[in-house]
Amino acid sequence: MILLRAGLRNLVRHPWQAVLTVLGVALGVAVVTAVDLANQTAQRAFKIAAETVAGRATHHIVGGPTGLPEELYRTIRVGRHFRNCAPVVSADVRVAGRSGTTLQLVGLDPFAEPPLRSFSSRFANGDVLATLMTRPESVLLAAGTARQLGLRVGDRFRIELAGKSPEVLLAGLLEAPDQVTRLGLESLMVTDIASAQELTGRLGRLSRIDLVLPEGDAGSRILAELRPLLPPEATLLPAGARAGSLEQMTRAFRLNLTALSLLALVVGMFLIYNTMVFSVIRRRRLIGLLRAVGVTRREVLWQLLSEALVVGLAGTLAGLALGSLMGQELTRLVTRTINDLYFVVEVRSVPLMPQTLVKGGLLGVLATLAAALPPALEATGAPPRAVLGRSFLEARSRRLMPYAVVTAGVVLLAGFLVLRVEAWGIAGSFAGLFALIVGYALLVPAGVVLLARALRPVLGGLFGTIGRMAARGVLISLSRTGVAAAALVVAVSATIGVGIMVGSFRLTVTSWLESWLRADLYLTSAVEADARRRPPLPPALVERLSRLPGALTSVTRRVTLPTAAGPVEVFAAQVPESTFLSYRFKEGSPREAWESFSRGDALLVSEPYSYRHKLHRGGRVTLPTRLGPRSFPVAGVFYDYGSDQGIVMMSRAGYLRFWEDPGVDGMGFYAGPGVTRDRLAQEIRARVGNERVRLVSNAELRQNTVAIFDRTFAITGVLRILTMIVAFVGILSALMAMQVERARELAVLRALGLTPGQVWGVVTGETLLIGLAAGLLSLPLGVLQALVLIFVVNLRSFGWTMEPYLDPKLLIQAVLLSLAAAFLAGIYPSLKIARLSPALALKEEE
Amino acid sequence: MRRLMTILLVAALAAGALWTLGRRREPAVEPGGMSVSQALGGVPQTGFARAVAPRAFRFPADHGPHPEYKTEWWYFTGNLADSAGRRFGYQLTFFRMALAPGEPPRSSRWATNQAYMAHFALTDVNGRRFSSAERFSRAALGLAGAGGVPLEVFLEDWSARETKGAPWSVRLRAAQGSGALDLELVSAQPVVLNGERGLSRKGPEPGNASYYYSIPRLATRGTLSVGGERFQVTGTSWLDREWSTSALSGDQAGWDWFALQLKDGRDLMYYQLRKKDGSADPFSAGTLVAADGSAKPLTRDQVRLVPTGWWKSPHDGARYPAGWRLSVPGEGIALEVVPRLSDQELLTSFRYWEGAVAVKGEGGAELGSGYLEMTGYQPGGAGVGR
Repeated sequence: MILLRAGLRNLVRHPWQAVLTVLGVALGVAVVTAVDLANQTAQRAFKIAAETVAGRATHHIVGGPTGLPEELYRTIRVGRHFRNCAPVVSADVRVAGRSGTTLQLVGLDPFAEPPLRSFSSRFANGDVLATLMTRPESVLLAAGTARQLGLRVGDRFRIELAGKSPEVLLAGLLEAPDQVTRLGLESLMVTDIASAQELTGRLGRLSRIDLVLPEGDAGSRILAELRPLLPPEATLLPAGARAGSLEQMTRAFRLNLTALSLLALVVGMFLIYNTMVFSVIRRRRLIGLLRAVGVTRREVLWQLLSEALVVGLAGTLAGLALGSLMGQELTRLVTRTINDLYFVVEVRSVPLMPQTLVKGGLLGVLATLAAALPPALEATGAPPRAVLGRSFLEARSRRLMPYAVVTAGVVLLAGFLVLRVEAWGIAGSFAGLFALIVGYALLVPAGVVLLARALRPVLGGLFGTIGRMAARGVLISLSRTGVAAAALVVAVSATIGVGIMVGSFRLTVTSWLESWLRADLYLTSAVEADARRRPPLPPALVERLSRLPGALTSVTRRVTLPTAAGPVEVFAAQVPESTFLSYRFKEGSPREAWESFSRGDALLVSEPYSYRHKLHRGGRVTLPTRLGPRSFPVAGVFYDYGSDQGIVMMSRAGYLRFWEDPGVDGMGFYAGPGVTRDRLAQEIRARVGNERVRLVSNAELRQNTVAIFDRTFAITGVLRILTMIVAFVGILSALMAMQVERARELAVLRALGLTPGQVWGVVTGETLLIGLAAGLLSLPLGVLQALVLIFVVNLRSFGWTMEPYLDPKLLIQAVLLSLAAAFLAGIYPSLKIARLSPALALKEEE
Repeated sequence: MRRLMTILLVAALAAGALWTLGRRREPAVEPGGMSVSQALGGVPQTGFARAVAPRAFRFPADHGPHPEYKTEWWYFTGNLADSAGRRFGYQLTFFRMALAPGEPPRSSRWATNQAYMAHFALTDVNGRRFSSAERFSRAALGLAGAGGVPLEVFLEDWSARETKGAPWSVRLRAAQGSGALDLELVSAQPVVLNGERGLSRKGPEPGNASYYYSIPRLATRGTLSVGGERFQVTGTSWLDREWSTSALSGDQAGWDWFALQLKDGRDLMYYQLRKKDGSADPFSAGTLVAADGSAKPLTRDQVRLVPTGWWKSPHDGARYPAGWRLSVPGEGIALEVVPRLSDQELLTSFRYWEGAVAVKGEGGAELGSGYLEMTGYQPGGAGVGR
């Protein structure tokens, strides 16, 4: 009981410290919770949408780039009497004027739906079905979506798809039979299949045919019967395969975010550890006395741990609340990145997910207890007399230092070894990374000693006795400064590591774009969409423009082919030889590859594709073509940073031969000799006429691409800043606690005649020294982390190699960050000391 | 006769498609969610042709569809037996319904203003089995549709196709589960125009009428499959054809329709429209066809109709008459209409009873066969469609 009161008293007397500690825990938990929430929300939204659309389908028949012929549906349904099937025409649409709102247009035949999907408006009035079928371009939205868009039934609004911007009519609302379906419906725009074909311009084609097959032999028999009916480019996929492979796509991305969020928690743990160390040290006398009068070790230990638990709980609760708030914003960032990089997913609400809260809560409390355990054990483990003496602690931490260095060596080595095991994948790479961080952190106290010793003469020279006192102070209170510095190093190095990685990546992408984008002007459809969802250009326009005098042209088409192993993105291009020769190859060379590539006999795979499929030059890729599955030799592996799933590149000649899809979604124009870019642009515009297209210069396109890159890394940047804030709070609280704890010592100094200014000098000097030491020590760890992120984590997550690039600004920033935190940390204790009369201060403590 | 069929059709089309859409967790269309008046809006849509005056029927063209009218049906029913005397009944019905007037040009082949519904039922009298099925489809892409000369009406693989112009013959094919039929029907009689030269008035307002003709006897021969067993069968079928753009007066509860082929060569069609208060609507009417093919219209006053008992459906608790006493005193007709199987209730989105019946005389002697349709007996009162 007395212990409990002592603990409470301790909190009350140092409210700032309590607040900072709770804040530290809270921030750590908040970051983890927010990231988890964002990940889960995005994933869940996607999954539910996919399941809602798939309904009870057990299989899908999917087509090539142009879909399936619609007659196939009739053949299956009427010709083969298989009636548990439904046609679907789907496309991504944007709601005009709302750049953020992308919906999935799903065109259905309501009469074929019964065995398939459970959603539908149950049409409170029977007219909706008639309206949907007989009024072209009438659509249905979920009530929530309509509300969000400010639409009422009967309203007309514009959407963007297939290079057009048609007006559609909100004919009714989709009413979900349950909450889960309601969530799924929120990203859909349902329409009649005829309207869907007309809106997308895909007349005569279906996106897919959904099937409900019975289980077991009966199902297999039907499958065997249906297979021969399929056109060669069609693929029969089990339901869920598509959703599963899309989910798989974002796994690496989500894992990376989680790892980064855990980094914030690790920093938070250091902070808790540090706080607990202080709270134990501060009461060492009390603990010693209690132990001397017969309180057992166990009682003391429980007391200390329950104190930690209180802090942990308070911090965790605050963290969960904060995390839920931050989660909203992070979800936006995460879904935007997923939309940019992977697929359309629309999240309208971020529900509080119990498992996320439980996870965050457990993590916060356990981390607090884990961090509090070592100091608590230390305080209770020592004999009562020893605990009473402070010098004992200092002596011991100095004595332990060699052991710490040895342990650090072992942990570092283990980290390096773990990183070398490629089979352990992304998780292994993060485990290795964390081992390196912990190992390095163990080295920090020794590093501080070395630095403080080295700097003592310098400080002495600069500031005289005060400077020397500051340096000495760091050394003699190593038990505390060491931990504070270690926390600081971990936090700051994380920001350096992530910063360098993103910077290197950006630079690599920029220089890759230079080799990849060679044309002077690029033409695409005007619809706001990324490369993967670009609608084809009007064929007549392509025809007009490909015969432009005085210019070379390139035409490209990007399509996604469904395969049993997941979707494969194919980039079909007809580019001038000179452009092709400038491509950067990882394996093979453009010169050797050109001939077979341009004939369409061989193809190229991008680096991530090669990494993911363990496919190298000389290997073969099998793709579903119009002529059936076809195996192509790989003539080379090229660098590409456009897709982390990897792409397959083939010449247009080959694409036309095997897919008979004349669609073109991008054109490039190379100004001939004596033709200026402006002249060329004029010529093109003159031929474009009224078509809605976008003509951009090489520089603009590069800029746009880099802008998208920056956007996708916005989430990383946010996490980096959050970690920085946690670090800052940690440093502030650690150093402040250290100085507050020294109040009596400082009062002695005052009593000895030091002016408040001089005491401030000692305090600030000391904290700045720690800040400087930590800042400097964080640099090697930061660089190390960057290297691991670049060469191990990124490679294993995304299959990209990048050139490491060290921006000195990042290093300077890091040192300044720690100095600023250290400086701020010195202010409060100095002011307090200055205000107190030395006599009072001397009496007050202990 | 089946003037409420219009409503039924709209309701069933919408209800059928949507009920099944929402079926996963919904037992059926929510009660009252699809009331008749809501479905039709009370007033017929403008833009459709209406049956106002008698028309000049032209055959075989009029066997084909009349898309300018809102609803239309081809109603085949028949009593069949195999060489061993095993009795069967069948019903194959195609309903056409225009969702909106006109057919504006659209570029998708899926686009259409016409939708089809079809019902297929088989009665195995000796095996005491009855099965029913329904289908819906848009009239597009060859999934469903109708053509005029020669007649072709189909919904997926259920079809009625003209095989010969004179005597007018038609082949019916349908299959669902273990039930199937493939029948050749040859008309044994000319077309009979019901009502006023084919104009069947449904109410006092002009235009509240349909065009309605029947072929009461078609010699039928072919195969039936019931429960996986195949039977060579022969017998007599009845074709009812009707098209209209009728409005709803709102006080009908349902109807009872009789199509009876008597052994003496006469055929009797009569429909009784029941009001919500249980009384027969004055517009109830029928046709008596003599053995020589001459037809005579019947009015409500000429016909007496009384249920002889009640049958409670084990499927939904609906109470249907278990038989009827039908007499036309002026014509010397006094009959008992007895279902060949009590449970011939169609478990379709819109539920009703339709099945093979025996026609008996006072002493119990069998005088003929026929088909009986009874609607509006569902629990929950007067509503025809739920």
